[in-house]
Order: sequence, then structure tokens, then C-alpha cells
Amino acid sequence: MASAVERFDDKASETFESVGRTTVYRGELLRHPVYSRALHWMVALFFFLALFSGFGIYLPWLFRWFTPIFGGGQLLRAMHPWFGLGFVVFFGLQALNWLQPMIWTPADSNWMRNMKKIVSSEEKMEAPDTGFFNAGQKVQFWEIVGGCTAYLITGIILWVGAPTFGRILVAISYVIHDISALIMLGGIFIHIYESTFGQPGTFQSMTRGAVSEAWAWTFHPAWYKQMTGRDPVQACEEARRQMTTGNKP
Amino acid sequence: MTNGWIDIKNTDMMLIMGGNPAENHPCGFKWAIEAKIHRNAKTIVVDPRLTRTAANADMYLQIRAGADIAFLGGLIRYAIENNRIAKDYLLNYTNAAFIIKDGFKLPEDGLYSGFDAEKKVYDKKTWNYEEGGDLTGKPVAATPPEKTPPPLKAGTPPPAPVLPQKIAFDLSLQHPRCVYQLLKKQYERYTPEMVERITGIPKEQFLKAADLFTSIRKDGDMKKVATIIYAVGWTQHSFGTQIIRTAAMLQLLMGNVGRAGGGVNALRGHSNIQGATDMAGIFDILPGYLKMPTPTDVDLATYLKRITPGQAKPDPWDSFNYWSNTPKFTVSLLKAMYGPAATKENDWAFNHLPKIDRNYSWVNLWNDMYEGKVKGIFAFGMNGVMIGPDSQKNIDALKKADWLVVCEIYPDETSEFWRAPGITADEVKKINTTVYRLPGAGFAEKDGTFVNSARWLQWKNVAVPPPGQARLDQEILATIFLKVRELYQKEGGKFPDPILHATFSYTNPYNPSLAEVAKEINGKALADITDPKTNTTIKAGQQLPGFAWLKDDGTTLAGNWLYCGSWTEAGAMIQRRGTEDPSGLGIYPNWGWSWPANRRVLYNRASCDLNGKPWDPSRRQVWWDEAKQSWVGNDVPDFKVDSSPKDHMGPFIMNPEGVGRLFVPLGAMADGPFPEYYEPIESPIPNLLHPNQSNNPVVKRYKTDMDKYGTVEQGFNVICTTYRLTEHYHYWTKNNPMNVQLVPEPFIEVPTELANQMGIRGGEKVKVTSARSHYIAKAMVTRRIRPMKIDGKEMFQIGIPIHWGFRGIAEDEGKTAKTLANELTPTVIDPNAFTPEFKGFLVKIEKA
Amino acid sequence: MADRKALQVEMISAHPGPVPGHGVQRNLEVCKLVDTTTCIGCKACEVACVEWNDMPFSPTTFDNTYQTMPETRWNFWNLIKFNEHQKEDGTIQWLMRKDQCMHCADPGCLAACPADGAIVKYANGIVDFNQENCIGCEFCISGCPFNIPRFNPETKRVYKCTLCSDRVGEGLEPACIKACPTGCLKFGTKDDMKFIAEERAKQLRENFGIEKAGVYDPQSVGGTHVIYVLHDATDPERYGGLPKNPEIPWSYTVWKWLFKPVLGTFALFGLLGVCLHYVTAGPRRTQPEPPRKGERNG
Repeated sequence: MASAVERFDDKASETFESVGRTTVYRGELLRHPVYSRALHWMVALFFFLALFSGFGIYLPWLFRWFTPIFGGGQLLRAMHPWFGLGFVVFFGLQALNWLQPMIWTPADSNWMRNMKKIVSSEEKMEAPDTGFFNAGQKVQFWEIVGGCTAYLITGIILWVGAPTFGRILVAISYVIHDISALIMLGGIFIHIYESTFGQPGTFQSMTRGAVSEAWAWTFHPAWYKQMTGRDPVQACEEARRQMTTGNKP
Repeated sequence: MTNGWIDIKNTDMMLIMGGNPAENHPCGFKWAIEAKIHRNAKTIVVDPRLTRTAANADMYLQIRAGADIAFLGGLIRYAIENNRIAKDYLLNYTNAAFIIKDGFKLPEDGLYSGFDAEKKVYDKKTWNYEEGGDLTGKPVAATPPEKTPPPLKAGTPPPAPVLPQKIAFDLSLQHPRCVYQLLKKQYERYTPEMVERITGIPKEQFLKAADLFTSIRKDGDMKKVATIIYAVGWTQHSFGTQIIRTAAMLQLLMGNVGRAGGGVNALRGHSNIQGATDMAGIFDILPGYLKMPTPTDVDLATYLKRITPGQAKPDPWDSFNYWSNTPKFTVSLLKAMYGPAATKENDWAFNHLPKIDRNYSWVNLWNDMYEGKVKGIFAFGMNGVMIGPDSQKNIDALKKADWLVVCEIYPDETSEFWRAPGITADEVKKINTTVYRLPGAGFAEKDGTFVNSARWLQWKNVAVPPPGQARLDQEILATIFLKVRELYQKEGGKFPDPILHATFSYTNPYNPSLAEVAKEINGKALADITDPKTNTTIKAGQQLPGFAWLKDDGTTLAGNWLYCGSWTEAGAMIQRRGTEDPSGLGIYPNWGWSWPANRRVLYNRASCDLNGKPWDPSRRQVWWDEAKQSWVGNDVPDFKVDSSPKDHMGPFIMNPEGVGRLFVPLGAMADGPFPEYYEPIESPIPNLLHPNQSNNPVVKRYKTDMDKYGTVEQGFNVICTTYRLTEHYHYWTKNNPMNVQLVPEPFIEVPTELANQMGIRGGEKVKVTSARSHYIAKAMVTRRIRPMKIDGKEMFQIGIPIHWGFRGIAEDEGKTAKTLANELTPTVIDPNAFTPEFKGFLVKIEKA
Repeated sequence: MADRKALQVEMISAHPGPVPGHGVQRNLEVCKLVDTTTCIGCKACEVACVEWNDMPFSPTTFDNTYQTMPETRWNFWNLIKFNEHQKEDGTIQWLMRKDQCMHCADPGCLAACPADGAIVKYANGIVDFNQENCIGCEFCISGCPFNIPRFNPETKRVYKCTLCSDRVGEGLEPACIKACPTGCLKFGTKDDMKFIAEERAKQLRENFGIEKAGVYDPQSVGGTHVIYVLHDATDPERYGGLPKNPEIPWSYTVWKWLFKPVLGTFALFGLLGVCLHYVTAGPRRTQPEPPRKGERNG
């Protein structure tokens, strides 16, 4: 079964690759292939649709602001579960796609221990054993996996409603659904920040799909090493030397 | 109803039996609830099923369908035994003290004296009072032999026996042949044990109910009042009239008749069935309950002599004998019917009236049609096929008819009888009946009056005009009549006079206004007439103010003497809408008009003691005003208003004796002067009182090949009863989506225990078979009908609502089996009122 | 809805801020009294409801009962529930209870509703749905402890008994009351109805030996504007599932009006946090960074 799913994932990946395009210039590394990027943006799209339509239902104060965006309360209510379903489906595909790199490693545990230093920028570079995804990303990933599961279950309960599931289950689902949304909302701020202002150079990994080698050895040294076979620290130092010895290499 | 709907609110105790007012008269049942709320009145419901009425009762007893007389007889016995009777009332207002002729025999063996086993009729000679005076304290003597009548002329029938002018009586009630002693003896056999064995009501339950019902007469107290409420659950038996008689006797015994909150109250099943009866919708009466002439009534005098009761009372007492005015009512009716053609010389055209030579009641008519004697039928406002009994026989009868005219608002089972299940296309081709369908108008599309169960005439207005080609009934009938008259004029005929001379002087004879008809029914003066007592004169042409003005000399006209006073010179009394009720008794004297004479409670003189003072001062209906020397009150006194209590005039002025009849003398009842318990024609057990005479002896069975009667031995071991639902009105509302939404499909109520035995669950289809036919519907498995112990044996009852046939919304959608409930019911009729036995017949039930 | 003078709005579902005009007028609370001890199950109220509200007929099927349908429907707001109850002595009691919206003082539907103005409670106690604003989320269905609101899949709106707010607003009694032939339904002020109901229950206890007779006016939802007289007030469940202690899930009140804003604010802390990070710790740049201004090369 698992292999069948993997085959599907590989096949989808190949198909997207044949349609889309990723240009990698010299000094750059391929970070996210077309398939991953496509999934990411679909997830993002449905996330925001679900989020904003959810806002309308979520808080009475936001009802009057958000419902008109979706053509009124009824349409908003009708579409929200479909948005949510879209989010879950695309994220599900992404999860499949990223299952391998998202597996927790001892390096991630180290990362978590050093998180304070990293967040406060005390450590300019990630620890050398930081791979394709760092532990922070993995935490968010697994949070979304959990969140999506909660969404899906509670969402279906809310969607089908009290006549089938009973009013108490609906009332509980409603709270879980909301809490799940709140956690994800908090996470999305960090995610957007980290991928834009927080780590310049990251955003292009999801647009063009390629990142600079410097970005790679700085933030994902182990991955850099894996991709180039060079030691990330040495590579960085070399670059620094070049930088200080003048702009004429 | 002796009383009225609203009057039920004045009661302290209700016995509801043979009726289901909460379901079938929900609007009237509010007054029962008023009594519960405002008087703490108790309700006892006795019914084969736990109905919605029973759901509201303080006590519910499940009775075997048809065992009512046993139960009521048991109540009479209990009341006498425990002295819960109204002694003064009994003595003075009933015939309890009257002596019955020697030779009268009680039916210990099931038969009264005088039974002719061959003809199945009684010679009622001995069912009579003894002539004589006050025998109180005097030794008992045999009835002196009758004087030999003078020899009769050859060919003339012997004169019918009459009541003695002076009736012997014993005010100590000790005379062994006084009515009270006979009554006591008659119901001595109806012990609580016997009641249990016959009715299936456990003895303790019966005693509890009997105690509760008679508790209103505890210690001789006369203040409280009980009412008995019934409907067709009593009438539709082969002894229906006698059940009602038993109730009336119980009420007389307990002194409940004539009093606010009392009486014997028949709940009418249709909005105007009372009016139909008053206006002679029955073959054996003329409007106002005048008897129909028979072939022996060779002239008016003979007829009047036969139907006008003479004096018959205890000598010292007075009696109004209001029926002695029969000639006035009759002549006024003839004047209304034949106008100027009715003259003194031609006996007021008496011979224009048809004379009935035999029984033309419902079942007989269909039987005659089935036998090919009746060639055609006009079916107006009724669904003859559905009504039954033995609907298949009715359908087969219609196949044999030459023609059928149906006036309806929906296509119904009668107008489309050939669509009945089981008739093939080939068979349809062979049916030669010509069917004429006339588009009638619905009740909301007509004006006119409804006469309700309380005898109130109430005018109604048109809500919407009849749609399309629909026509008012009177327009259809008048058009047919005028056409027939035209044919008689042109072609003559055997006897054209009754048709040609009938008055039909309406402004628009082709569509008479019902207001004009109502005025004609009320009656008017044809010449100036003067009342010498009050010196008032009514001019020729003026409306009569009341039936006291009617004359037998042709100077007055009235279509129905009972309705005289309903549309007077002062206007249409029936259109009044006054809501004043000064007494608080719910009399509403200015609302509509109630026959007779706008009187709301009949026999209301009996609400007072001998001195004319109300038994209960808090419920003052009428009373004797010593100063005015007159009866006055909140209601119209049902009495001779200037008859002082000293004269001891009886309150039951329509009886020649002036008193209520515990014992019905002579010919008024076909099957006995006291009610006796008989089993229904189809009964699971022999009569426990007299196994050799199980059924009503005067009931006749029909003889055609369709008339089959089942027995337990043939496997028909379940007792079945039929009834109606709140949600549907007879066979009409199956055409109305709203009603169909409320109860979508036919069903059969089956006790849980029986269902378990059969291995069926609610909603599964079952087939009920009687000796005649079968009925298929879904089972409603319920605990509201319990298994019963009848004479120690476990038995089951089931119930079938009658509303579905083969035309209607559910039927047309193919959701029903298209069988008719009345295909099951037997062709047996009550010998007095000729009502079929729709309740309490035998069936077998199986999984369909 | 609110534009009718006689109907003064008191509460609005999901409405931020104060209710316009609330408390400006004096208003008596109305109440429908259903005396189940005198209900004869005639269904006149059912018909009156369908007729007055112009609702289409919906097909029914035989279900081994006199009850018209198992539960109320979006186009059938008033249903008499028939229940055969076996008493301790083995006898059967046939109970009939008119089921409809109870018009709670604390309406669970209104608490659960996320749509501004879809549910209003008038100052006279009537809880009314305004389908214009209903978004069909069906939360009201789970908020209602009496299982009353019904979703119409075609219009995607929820419907229920309005206590004939259109009639009451014009000074008339609700249609069911008008149609009731026995007077088992009464309509008036809450105080009057409560008084009549208590008197009736007392009468049943004292004069008819129905010891457990009482009035159903559950305080767990602040009382209702439809109250019942029951033969046995200790066991309302037997009347077709009338809850003994109707409850509104806490999530709809506490969660909606307290935790939601609070936790929502917490979520916004994420935004605040990243902003603070940017201005304090600053972004993390790829290494090596170019020399900073003024910094000597090497």
C-alpha cells in the first residue's frame, strides 16, 4: 500500500516536473521542485480561503467584514467546508511528498535544545547536522498534520451536523475546530515571517524553487553537504575569504 | 342531546361510553374539559380501545365491543343496591310506581312475554300498565280480565292496545308488579361477577367505576349531577336503541335528566345530522317526528287517532301530554306541503302523502336493490358504497341497478363503484348501470342552517362560491323536481296530484333561497288568528312566533312544528349571535335558536323538586314563581308555565303519562320494555344470561347469498370494531392533502400480545377476514388495546378506522390495498332504529 | 422583524455591541401554556401552524403511531408527540404533548448562532429566526436543548416555530392557540400563564390524585416562554423526550464570548512576536554577510 502511495507521489512529481520549470543558476541549488511548490501554493490558497471564510463564522465581530468577501453569509457558510476540504487534501498530498524529510532525527532534538540561540540570532549558522528541514519546520509540519486531522474530523461533524452526531459532539467539535485554527493561525505568522523578512533569500525557494548555495550552507548545512559533497563550514569560510580579499576573486 | 354541548360544563360526573368525543367531537369536548377544570368533574370512559378520550379520563375501562347493556345493567343494579338513587325524583317524575299488568314476564330465559317465535315479533299486550288507582299499602290483586271487545267487522284489524286512562300506582314501591320492583328484579342478574364475565371488565374495576359514578347520589344528596355521553358506538348494534334506553333509565334512577350538567347526550357525527333527522331524513317519520302514514290509515282521522296519544296517567296527577296537539302539527304540515290544494274537504290532502307498507331503512333499501326490486338510487351527500354494511353487497347491488345519480364534490366510491378492486375490465363492460354525476357544492359554498347535537339551529353564510359547474343542492333538486312536474303535467301518470299540487312558490323556483325555505318551515298564519288568553292577533301572512299558535283548521302552515319560532316576525332567530349568558350556565338564550321553543335543556321542570325549587340552587335553570304563579327561569321552561306544583303535572310532557319511562309500555320498543343484554349477532360466546337466547330475538337476518354471518367455530375468533379518527372526516378528507399528511394510510389497531402471537411488528401488513370479505392494511401494534378475559377465556379485540376506500390521494398513489372497512361488517340492523351493527363483529387476522 | 413596534428586540445572535433600542420600552413577556392533561391530540394546532405559515405539505408514512411524523420538520413546526407510557400498576397512559420551539429565556440557538441577526430574541420573550441572515451553519440545531431548529436543504436556511411573532406583533394570539378546541393551549403574559399552570397542577394534585403533577418551566435555560402542565413533572422525558434539565453547551456561551476573543488575541501574538523579532534580534541572513558599513575588510 505504502509503496503504491509512494509510486503515486513519484509519478505526480515527475508529471509536474515535465510541465513546470525550475531554473537553477550557477551557485544555486534546487530546493523545491515544481510539484512541491504547486502543492504549497494550493495549500496556502485553500488555507487562506478557509481561514477568512472561517473568520466570518468564528467571531461575531468579524462577521460583517468577512462575509461580504464570499458573497454573503450563506455562500460563505456553504463554501467554508469545501475550502477546508481543499486545504486538507492538498496538505495531505504535500505531507506524502515530504514525509521522508520530515522524519524526526537526533539532530532535530539538538536543534530544539539550541533553539533559543538560533532564534536570538546568537548562532549565525545552523548546526552542521541541520538537514533539508530544520526541527522548527518539522514541528510546524507535524502540528499541521495533527491540525488537519482534527479539522477533518470535527469539520465533518460540524458539516453533517447535530441531527446525525448529536449536539454534544457538535459542541465539542466546534471548540476543537477553533482551537486547531488558532494554533495554525499563530503558526502561519511565524511561517510567513521566517520565509520572508525573517530569513531573506528563503522566499525564492517557493517561487523559483532554487536557493543560493550560501543560503543552503547557512540554514541547512547537512543538506548542503549532501547536495554538493562540500563541507558547509569550509564553504562559508572560503566565501568569507573571497569577500574580504576584495571583490576581485 | 337532552341537554347541549355547552351544558356539559355544568356536570360533576361524566360517563363517556359508545363515543369518542375527544377524537370525533373535539370542539364539543372542550365543555367536558371546562367541567374538569371548573367543577373538578370526573370522567369515566368505557370503550374497547384506549382512545384519546380515554387518555383524558380519570378512569378507563376496556369493554368488549357490544357488551354495553351488561355494564349499564350492572350499574343500575349497583345504584339500587347501594341506594344511590334519587328517591323523590323516581317516585314523582318516573313511572317507577306504576303497576304493570299481570302476565308480563321478565326475560330470565331471554324472552319477554308475548313472543311469536315464528314471526319473530312480540305481542305487546302484556307490556302495559294496569288500570286502577292508588294501590299504596293495598293488597296485591291480579289484573282484572279485560272486557271482551265488541265483535269486529270482518276484515278490519283488531284495534291496537292502548294505555289505560287511569294508571294504577303504588307510591311505597312495594307492589311486586310495580315498575321499580320489576326493574330491580330484571337487573338482579347483572351482578359484578356477571359483568366481568360478559364485558371483560375486572370486577374490582367495575365496582370502582360504579362507586365513582353513583357517588354523586351518596347519602341521598341531590345537588350533584352526572351526564352520560354517547355516540354511534352505542347506536350501531343489533340492540343499539336498548343500550341508550339503559342509559336513560340509569339517569332517571339517579335523577339526572332535565338538569343542567345531566341528561343523556347523543353526540351527532355530522354537522347537520340532527337537522336531517328533525326534517325526516328517515323513512318512517314526517318532519317534526310525526309518524309516517301506513296503508291502514285510510283517512286523516284514522291516522290521527293512531298517532295521537290519549290521556293515560295516575288519576290524581296532571299531565300535559303535548303530543295531543298532533292534529295541529299534522294539518299545518299538510298546508305547508300542498297549500291551497289541502282543504278540509279532502282531509287536507292527507292522501297525497305516501304510505309506508314495509321497512324502507338503509340496509333494506340496498337489500332490495340487490334483489332487483329497487331500480335506481339518488345518492346525495353520502357515499353509499363505503357506508355499508357489507359494502361488497352494496357494490353488487349497484351493478344490478338501472341507474344511479350521485351528487358529490369528489369522485367517490359510489360514483365509481365499478372501480372496486376485483372487478375486471370484462366485468365492467357487463355493468349496465347508467351513472349520472352531479357536481355538488361543499359545505362552505352554501348558506342555510346546521342543527347541532344540542338542537341549535344556526345559520351559516357562504364562504366561497361553488367552483366551476358546481351547483347548490337546492338548485339541483328544484330543477329535477320542476322537470318531473313538467313531465307529469304533460304526460299525466298514475297519481300526479301529489306532484302537481305540491307548493313550490319560491321567488326563484329553480334555485330557491334557503331563507325562504326556512321561513316556510317556521310557518305562518293563513288567516288572522287570535289568542283569546292574551288577546293578541297574528295577521294572515305573518310568521308564527311559536308552535303554540298552530291550528288544525287550516289557518296555519308550518313545515316542521318543532322549528316553529325559528324565523318569526321579529326576524331570523337562527341568525342571532347574542353572547349574553346571564345565568352563567351556558344557556346563551340569544345565540341561534334551539328547538323546541328556544329551550336549551329538555325536561327542565325535572331540575326542580316537587315544590318547584331547583335541586341545586347554584344551577338554577327554571323555577316556580309563586308570586307570578308561573314557571320562570334562565332557560325556557319545558312545561305548562302556569301549572302549579300542587297540580303534580309530570315534567316529561311528551309522554302521555307525564313521567319518564323506566318501563316502556306497548309498542314504542320492538324488543322489550326493559333492555336485556343480548350478544351481538357475531359473538365469541353464547349469552351467559340465557345461552338459548343469545341474540336479540326480534332481529332478522338477511337471506341473500351475500349475507353471511361468522362464528368462532369457523375460525373468526377476534372481536373487531370500526371507528373514525380526528384527522379524517368520513370518506371525504382522504382527498385533502392536509388530512392525508396527518394520517396518510389506513391501519388496523392490533394489541401487542396478539401481534406477538402472530409474529408481526408495527407497520407490517395484515389481513382481516370476516365471513363476508377481507380488509388489508398495516398493523398499528399498540398496548392501548389489551387482551381481555371473556368468561374466563383470553380474547383479543382489534379496531379498524373506516376512512379509506379505492378513491383518494393515498389510494390513487397505490399506497393502500383499496379494501373497504365496511366490507367486513354484517348486514344486521337494530329493530328499533334500523342502524347496522358496525361495532363488535367477528374476524380472523393473519399476516398479509 | 425589529421594525414592528410591538416587537422590541432584546437579543441578537452574533451581534457585536449593544442591541439597538433595547430597554427603551416596557414589555411584558408572553407565554404559551400547554396543558398536557387536557390535550386531546386532535392536531388542530398542527394544521393551524401549517396553514397560517403557508407551509407546503410534506408526505408522511405510517409509523405505527398516531403521531403525524417522528419529529418536527422545517415545514412542520408544531407536532403533537404521542407516547404510550406504562404506569407502575401496568395500566397504559397515553400522553400527548405539543412539541414546538420553547422560546427559552436563554436561547441556546441564539447563543450558538454565528450569523449577526439571524436569530433575535424580542423583549416579549419570543425567539425568532430571521432567515435573511441565516447562513445555514446549523449551529443553532446543536445549541438547542429541545431539538427544534430544522434545516431546509433547498434554501439552506434553518426554520422553527416563531410563536407567530407576526400575529403577536399585531396583538393576536398564535395560530395554534386560536385553533385549539379544548383550551388546553393558552396564551398570555408569562406571569399569568405561570399562575394558571401552577393552579392547574395544584388542582390535579389535590382533586384528581395526580400527585406528581407539576409545571415544566426549566430554569436551566432561564425559563421558557412555552410552559407545560405535566401529569408527572418529575419525568418529563416520557413525553417524547422533553429534557429534564435542558442545557446549552458551555462552549456556546463561554467559548464564544470569552475565550474566542482572548485566544484570538493570543494568536495575534504570533504577529506581534515576529515583528518584535525583526526589530530586536533582526533577520537571519545568509553567511557570510558582507562587511557592515565602517567595518574594516578583513
